[in-house]
Amino acid sequence: MANNETDIKIVAFLCNWCTFTAADLAGTSRLKYAPNIRIVKVMCSSRIEPVFILKVLLDGADGVFIGGCAPGDCHYSKGNFYARRKVALAKTLAKSAGLDSERIRLSWIPASEGPRFAHVVNEFTAHIKELGDNPARREVYI
Amino acid sequence: MIKGIWVEGPVKKGVLDFLNGLLAEKKIKAVLMPAKNKGGDSYAWFLMGKDRLLESADPVPPVMTTQGANVVSYLTKKGPVWEKTAVLLRPCEYRAVIELAKIKQVDLTNLVLISFDCPGAYPLEKYVNGDPEELDESFEVCLGGVVELDGPRNVCAICHRFTGTGADIEIGLMGGEGKGFWLVPGSKQGEELLDGAVGSESDNIDVREKAISDRTIARETKRNNTLDSFQETVMGPENLLNTLSACINCHNCSRVCPICFCRECYFDSKALSSEADNMLQRAQRKSGLRLPPDLLLFHLGRMSHMSVSCVSCGACEDACPANVPVSMLFALAGRNTQAVFDYEPGRRLDEAIPHTVFKFEELKDFETPYIKEYSKV
Ligand code: SF4
Ligand code: SF4
Repeated sequence: MANNETDIKIVAFLCNWCTFTAADLAGTSRLKYAPNIRIVKVMCSSRIEPVFILKVLLDGADGVFIGGCAPGDCHYSKGNFYARRKVALAKTLAKSAGLDSERIRLSWIPASEGPRFAHVVNEFTAHIKELGDNPARREVYI
Repeated sequence: MIKGIWVEGPVKKGVLDFLNGLLAEKKIKAVLMPAKNKGGDSYAWFLMGKDRLLESADPVPPVMTTQGANVVSYLTKKGPVWEKTAVLLRPCEYRAVIELAKIKQVDLTNLVLISFDCPGAYPLEKYVNGDPEELDESFEVCLGGVVELDGPRNVCAICHRFTGTGADIEIGLMGGEGKGFWLVPGSKQGEELLDGAVGSESDNIDVREKAISDRTIARETKRNNTLDSFQETVMGPENLLNTLSACINCHNCSRVCPICFCRECYFDSKALSSEADNMLQRAQRKSGLRLPPDLLLFHLGRMSHMSVSCVSCGACEDACPANVPVSMLFALAGRNTQAVFDYEPGRRLDEAIPHTVFKFEELKDFETPYIKEYSKV
């Protein structure tokens, strides 16, 4: 199944205070970015459990993007440090199971950086496009 | 601290005499340990109080029935025990107790933790369906640490943490060749209890240390090699699904796991259930959906919750009706996740569980660093 650009699906978990606000800013500034991401807003990046990431991948999304405040800037002061540990766990387990851990990305995008949000989304989408279809999408026995 | 007391004579009887002595002198009020059950074909845990242990008490049973940490957790669920209580644990059970104490599922107040050099255990099924007398006999032979147990559980065969390091008292069997054992204190409390124990101040304990270090080296190699080749056979969703294909979704493995302490498991909750319509859509998208769904998610999800604390006790595999090598999968996952955080479950009480702490500078390989990315824009 060849991938055309709109086929790619990326689920993005964005923290309310920074990356989601940056996404909002990118929107209101009318910046163009790849239309493949579906955003799930969470109050803090530390709300994201490894299970969320793994479920998204096992259900067939091609990429998972996690966005939080830059280290030191977390609205709840240290949530993003816990988030980093959880993402490390998810990536390690994905790798142990032979799922492509490259499909998981953690980035820090401050609220005021709309252009950067657009840039990162484009870059990640291009990267996922290179990786191709997530084979789990068609796996019946999963 | 004294290095240890050498007690000459039959091992099991010697240990029971020591514990009976502590009870008689009122240094402890109760002992929690396994004993043969009524039918004589398996073991169960008993809290033994009055003034003597049960006749059928066995400090080193050949099988692990209920994981000891679950029993200790049950005992202290509503608060600490009021009087000094000794608990006899396999090393993996001891380490699970420490993990549970960190997350306040066990209250260590007034508990004296005693562990021993573990020869391994038989698969529960093999013991229950086999000839207990015969198996008991061949197990006894292995107590001295010279002979390796024949046909132990998978995880026991590759266990590299087979001593109760850290316990208040260790019962040293390795190197004793079955002629006796050492009582080794591991804490102030342990030392006080050993004061006055029958036996001789040990001058031969280096025999044990040597035997332990030899076996540790051999086992570490064996563990790594076995897990490496196991990884090859299960790596990739395809292979992993083959390995798990017999799984019947009973969740026994998590129910018996000491580390899976949650009263309501996320994977049994409504959080993952969806409308029939949703499942139908998923089925149509890939021309078929296995039900109940999320088989792989259950196992990977459980790994994400607790594999850093997995003590490789094998309780899960003993409980699996479908012969899934669950404990090997978790040993493998645990090896990988524990390495990320440089964590060893049960090593020390003051070593926090990785989910609960962080360092400012760490895990750079798992994030896209802010600075680097910034320069690109
Ligand atoms: S996952 Fe299995 S081996 Fe690991 S602690 Fe739980 S029951 Fe023991
Ligand atoms: S005990 Fe075995 S069959 Fe039951 S859920 Fe666990 S792996 Fe599957």
